[in-house]
Amino acid sequence: MSNNLPKMKLSRRDLLVTAAVATTGALVIGFWMPQRAQTQMNHPDGATWAVEPATEEVNAWVVVAPDETVTVRIAQTELGQGVWTSNAMMVCEELQCDWSKVRPQYASANRDAKEMAPKWTLNVPGNGATDSSGGGEPQFGTRDPTGLAGIPDTLYRRMRTNAAASVKDGRYYLQLAGAEARELLLLAAATVWGVPVEEVSSANSVITHRPTGRTTTYGKVASLAAQTPHPNPERIRIKPPSEWTLMGTEQKNLDVPSKVTGTAVYGIDVHMPGMKWAAVKSCPVYGGKVKSYDFERIRREPGVISAIQFPIPDPQLIRGRIFGGGVAVIADSWYQAKTAIEKMPIEWDVPPEYASLTTADIRAKLMASLDEPGKVGVNVGDCDSAFRGGAKIVEATYSVPYLPRARMEPGNATVLVTDDRVDIWIGDQSPQETRRSAALITGIPETNVYLHMCHLGGGYGRNGNGPQAEQAIYVANLNRGTPIHLLWTREEDFVNTTYRSMGVAKLRAVLDRDGWPVAIEARTATDEQAPGQNAGFDVAARYFAPNYRFSMHSGRFHIPVGTRRGVGAPAQHFYRESFMDELAHAVGKDPYLYRRELIARTNLPYKADMIKALDMAAEMSGWGTPLAEGTARAIALEERGAEGGGHCTISAQVHTVSISKQGKVRLMRVDVAHDEGFGLVNPLSVKKQIEGQIVWFYNDAIHQECTVKDGRIEQSNFDTFPLSRIDEDPPQINIAFFKTGHWLDGMGHDRGPSIQSAIADAVFQITGKRYRDLPFRNHDLTWS
Amino acid sequence: MVIDLTVNGVRHSVDVAPETPLLWVIRDQLRLMGTKFSCGIAQCGACTLHIDDRPVRSCSIPVSAAAGKSVTTIEGLSPDGTHPVQLAWIELDVPQCGYCQSGMIMSVVALLKRHPNPTDQEIDAEVTNACRCSTYHRIRQGIRVAAAKVSAGGGTL
Repeated sequence: MSNNLPKMKLSRRDLLVTAAVATTGALVIGFWMPQRAQTQMNHPDGATWAVEPATEEVNAWVVVAPDETVTVRIAQTELGQGVWTSNAMMVCEELQCDWSKVRPQYASANRDAKEMAPKWTLNVPGNGATDSSGGGEPQFGTRDPTGLAGIPDTLYRRMRTNAAASVKDGRYYLQLAGAEARELLLLAAATVWGVPVEEVSSANSVITHRPTGRTTTYGKVASLAAQTPHPNPERIRIKPPSEWTLMGTEQKNLDVPSKVTGTAVYGIDVHMPGMKWAAVKSCPVYGGKVKSYDFERIRREPGVISAIQFPIPDPQLIRGRIFGGGVAVIADSWYQAKTAIEKMPIEWDVPPEYASLTTADIRAKLMASLDEPGKVGVNVGDCDSAFRGGAKIVEATYSVPYLPRARMEPGNATVLVTDDRVDIWIGDQSPQETRRSAALITGIPETNVYLHMCHLGGGYGRNGNGPQAEQAIYVANLNRGTPIHLLWTREEDFVNTTYRSMGVAKLRAVLDRDGWPVAIEARTATDEQAPGQNAGFDVAARYFAPNYRFSMHSGRFHIPVGTRRGVGAPAQHFYRESFMDELAHAVGKDPYLYRRELIARTNLPYKADMIKALDMAAEMSGWGTPLAEGTARAIALEERGAEGGGHCTISAQVHTVSISKQGKVRLMRVDVAHDEGFGLVNPLSVKKQIEGQIVWFYNDAIHQECTVKDGRIEQSNFDTFPLSRIDEDPPQINIAFFKTGHWLDGMGHDRGPSIQSAIADAVFQITGKRYRDLPFRNHDLTWS
Repeated sequence: MVIDLTVNGVRHSVDVAPETPLLWVIRDQLRLMGTKFSCGIAQCGACTLHIDDRPVRSCSIPVSAAAGKSVTTIEGLSPDGTHPVQLAWIELDVPQCGYCQSGMIMSVVALLKRHPNPTDQEIDAEVTNACRCSTYHRIRQGIRVAAAKVSAGGGTL
């Protein structure tokens, strides 16, 4: 079956690889062409990486073949969020081609190292987040040549997949790219016909000369369009949502057919002639390294070739995070390499200061930091005086554990280093960074580094990829001429990932005689390297108090922390929304109406949208109507960016939860009222994200926890780190959208963290017990 | 040791250590890459395939256990992606990252062979694969759609 991908053609690039490998000699059996060999051997239709087109491109994003096939280059990575389809929709909205002929393909990170972006992609049109006809307000709006912090000016601009920002940051230039391609195609047709371009228009890949009714197609004029520069690209405008015909419609994801037949190519599936496999053991205590290993003990194991010690990956290459050094064993097959490395004695050199650390030590330090001054994020009014004079004080301390992403595909990369070139086959959320790593490790310039992008078997946070590429590049660089496929076991994936930091928070409020807050103080503490420490509390209180103070506290710990799905927000939402429930209950008020009133008292720019979300979700859920014994409803607000007047996504969810007397939790129903801003790109993908994230965060709330003992993470696989299964999916999920007057933030995270506070509150309502430490499997939920 | 097994209707003789997990023979020797490795300890089900129509977690079963038996992988469900469960999955746009879906689909096919019209309890008890993207909501709907297709004569399991 077809999944809309072109048959691979032998390209100049393939020949270059062949030549490079042929000249290095060793271990190459005859001539081979990685791209072609791979696709012919296993996945004639499933490979996704960039290949040189048979037809000259119209622009860097669009290739139209004579058979009307439209290749759209995708610079972000498909990891389940739907970007393979939504990025193509943004280009094709403007291109006005036949959607059924569209075949996405990953953009070339190598070209991105060699070419600069067209000037017309560099400036955001319009007036920011509340201008419906403009390009919005990109999150990574600052230009940054490395692409690490901002958007580089190189060909494909931002190639990272993170911060749920693919639509938000890429939409304006992807729409512009589609529009430029359309105008070039129309201009080519007008040139052929000798008519003014103003008389020509297109739909579904058919170009019509309106006065005469003559038609041609994109495929027929594409090669002429490819050779004719746009006369004034600065004047190209993008369609506002009122003119959209493709964006905003539910489109099935273009990668799905390949994912139901097993033909989609993930990094782990890359195989090529002469390739060897590497299994790895890294020091399980971060910052530790290999003291000694005894390769002689496994030298004669089947298939074993060699062992290579690798140092602690250079923190400069992985955003300053410190993992462990380790050893890779190389063998003919991965199972042989893995079996052998498990038999090989390895002694670790563990930093003594980490060797006996436990979760309790880290928690104690975080708790102690809450009483230190901290970094003040917001300070409005005079909290200290207010607490001295208040009628009723409510105080609560919450905590969340370390959590990995635990994507289903264990970390892996296939790397071939020759004397002047690096080829990497990988699913990667940050190809520009990996390109830079390859150059720094091998000494080969970035312009000679080729990333062959594969779909990724789950992402959930850019840093979650860990040093998979860096380890593989290091090992392959010492085996030049041989493609090395390095694959982690599940256990190694736990060792080599970054974690969402453990966090604690102390919230205090002083209430007036009517139960409304006079002051709210929020202190949060987490690892000082943890990103997103201000989420949900920053700039202004989401729930009004005339005196409001928010401070961030921290400690420095050796567990590497990173951007797990939602970054700082899921923990902070748990703290904040739990506390709002506690305040409402403390004064006998309805948690929905209590929130509603406190939002109404704020000056937040989108407070009307927040109230709308609460009202809709409450109404959808039948809020206030009777429920069976042992069942309760809880409501919470989810917002990302609500404080600043920029991009923002607002939703409210009501969770209906039952708890058996034996303490078994069942999420029965979720009602979601969700902001659609000026418009969603692919509402189907948004619904899928909401559905998935409800259970993702339910999983966090109920099951997931990583603990530290002897300086290492104790959990290493899905037996000790359980995952929710289908029996925990709620029978009913109802999603309704409402229009608002701003561009949205992304959908890849923060769509469901309210389940955490909702379960806490349902437990309280049903059992009378209030728990403030996640996960709930650690607590006694029984009642009678 | 040479082991004979039939995979997707094709007979193979593989020369491999008999304790090698079936998963790695399927992936490395037969180059059928749809069946995935994830946990290696029979927890997650990403490696689910059928031996004689029975779903097994191939990461934790030695190839010797499949000797002389008939193995079906995701690639063997249909030549063109038109198995009723595959069609239901496309109709509902079930996969997100998709990595677990080969194993998930194989578990669902096995479920439907035993229970052509499964109850929610049967689904919960027998489809125990993990999906990290948590696509379970559409998986359950997809099972219903596939069951309806089969009972209406739209394909066989």
